[in-house]
Amino acid sequence: MEAILYDEGTPQELDMEKIARYVVQKMGKVKVEVRGNPFAFNVPQDKVSDYARKIASIKIQGVSQEILSEQQPLYGEIEYEKRRILGKTKSFGILYEGFHLQRIFREIVPREERSLEFVHILFTSRLFATWDDGDKRYHLRTSVYGIPSIISTTGLIEAPARPREYYLLKQQYERLGRDLLELKERFKGRFIDYEDGRLTEVLKGYAMQAVFYHLVDNPFCEDKGCRLYNAHWQEELIFAQLGSKYEFCGRHEEVLDDLHTG
Amino acid sequence: MEKFSPVGEKDVTRAIVTEFAKQFVEYVESDCIIIGAGPSGLMAGRNLAKAGKKVLIVERNNYLGGGFWIGGYLMNKVTVRHPAERVLDELGIPYKEVSAGLLVADGPHACSKLIASACDSGVKFANMTAFDDLVLKEDGRVCGAVINWTPISALPREITCVDPVAIESEIMIDATGHDAQVVKKLEERGLIKTKGFGAMWVERSEDLIIEHTNEVHPGLIVSGMAVATTYGLPRMGPTFGAMLLSGEVAAELVLEKLK
Repeated sequence: MEAILYDEGTPQELDMEKIARYVVQKMGKVKVEVRGNPFAFNVPQDKVSDYARKIASIKIQGVSQEILSEQQPLYGEIEYEKRRILGKTKSFGILYEGFHLQRIFREIVPREERSLEFVHILFTSRLFATWDDGDKRYHLRTSVYGIPSIISTTGLIEAPARPREYYLLKQQYERLGRDLLELKERFKGRFIDYEDGRLTEVLKGYAMQAVFYHLVDNPFCEDKGCRLYNAHWQEELIFAQLGSKYEFCGRHEEVLDDLHTG
Repeated sequence: MEKFSPVGEKDVTRAIVTEFAKQFVEYVESDCIIIGAGPSGLMAGRNLAKAGKKVLIVERNNYLGGGFWIGGYLMNKVTVRHPAERVLDELGIPYKEVSAGLLVADGPHACSKLIASACDSGVKFANMTAFDDLVLKEDGRVCGAVINWTPISALPREITCVDPVAIESEIMIDATGHDAQVVKKLEERGLIKTKGFGAMWVERSEDLIIEHTNEVHPGLIVSGMAVATTYGLPRMGPTFGAMLLSGEVAAELVLEKLK
């Protein structure tokens, strides 16, 4: 088996080599390759505009407005996506449809590598969401697993909810025109933020969720102390990835042991 | 005390009309028409005029500066985030850093300095003038604006019958803020589909505004908050750095197009 890691506009505090070493350490007999920008690896220059157009077509305009087919992008949107693909900008903040985005990334995974022999894990700073038919709205996501598994460094910060008191106070701060940075300072450490030194350590767990999706078809675990726990709150996330006394629950530890001995 | 010159009412009127008419005739055709005299329009106009271009800014209000006089919630402190303090330094606007990368200046001081700098650079203004429509060439290219006095739009159609006039330019900038009035005129004709602005996300919106400042349709560049409306980008909140820098980018793009 081979694990391939990609880095699509992620922040500089994310150390891909550390994540690669961690995956090797946990999986044992596995080759891990760090490929960097997925577009630079497998997209010829003359296809950049096509991919830019495709990505610009899957922007979510309103969280209650489901994207059913690709939309018509504007020239400026395509130009922006071109610059992102070519690595000329790292700016982010646009919301994309998660499954559509994954399908676009799948197209740039080399055809011969789209098999069970390869685990493709793509870290991106793009923010994405998936539609929920239950409440008829989009929900921000940290990850969508598949080929490739896409993990959002922005989603990690924005998707799992911050402490409840944070939102109540935020409302007050906004009403009074107070500086939100002051509020962030009050809650420092209780959620993952931009330029957070804990990012790499936390994302090791998400890389392993992608690995488990590949191995057993389920990336998640019910155990709140296991790195595979599907955290919906930042405090749960921090506990599962950094605070728990163990990295993996007994059941998942066993799967990893089997990989080493098998 | 030295006495004022003996000038009659008719002389005052004649001076106003003559000088206004002279400027109006001259600026019926210019290199660039900018709709909106907010921070991004003023910044774009200033830089273009500094580069020797003939620039007319159309503003529907009597006053220039748009929302730059006042920060959020009617409080007259304006904020910019790093790296936009470069523009404040350039304009000689005093400010202080209240936290890492967040600068605060006095709204009246900042706004008046920007207006003065635009005027000093040679920008001309048509204030109390409303943008009414676009002038489009046969190939759909934007090549001018249809304008009218602002008060005309406030009167009932039944009692006013004042036709607008048209002015022309090589290129135009939509700097009308959230309204994106010029882009909306293209939308009315089915030439473009705007996305409307998203929720406020101060941390990310400023970068995206700069990245999307661009020619949205042949002959029309969109700048400042109009960029957010056009592309459905997050709203910015009461911070002005991206307005100033977006104006700079718009000016660079216009200069490139005018080459």
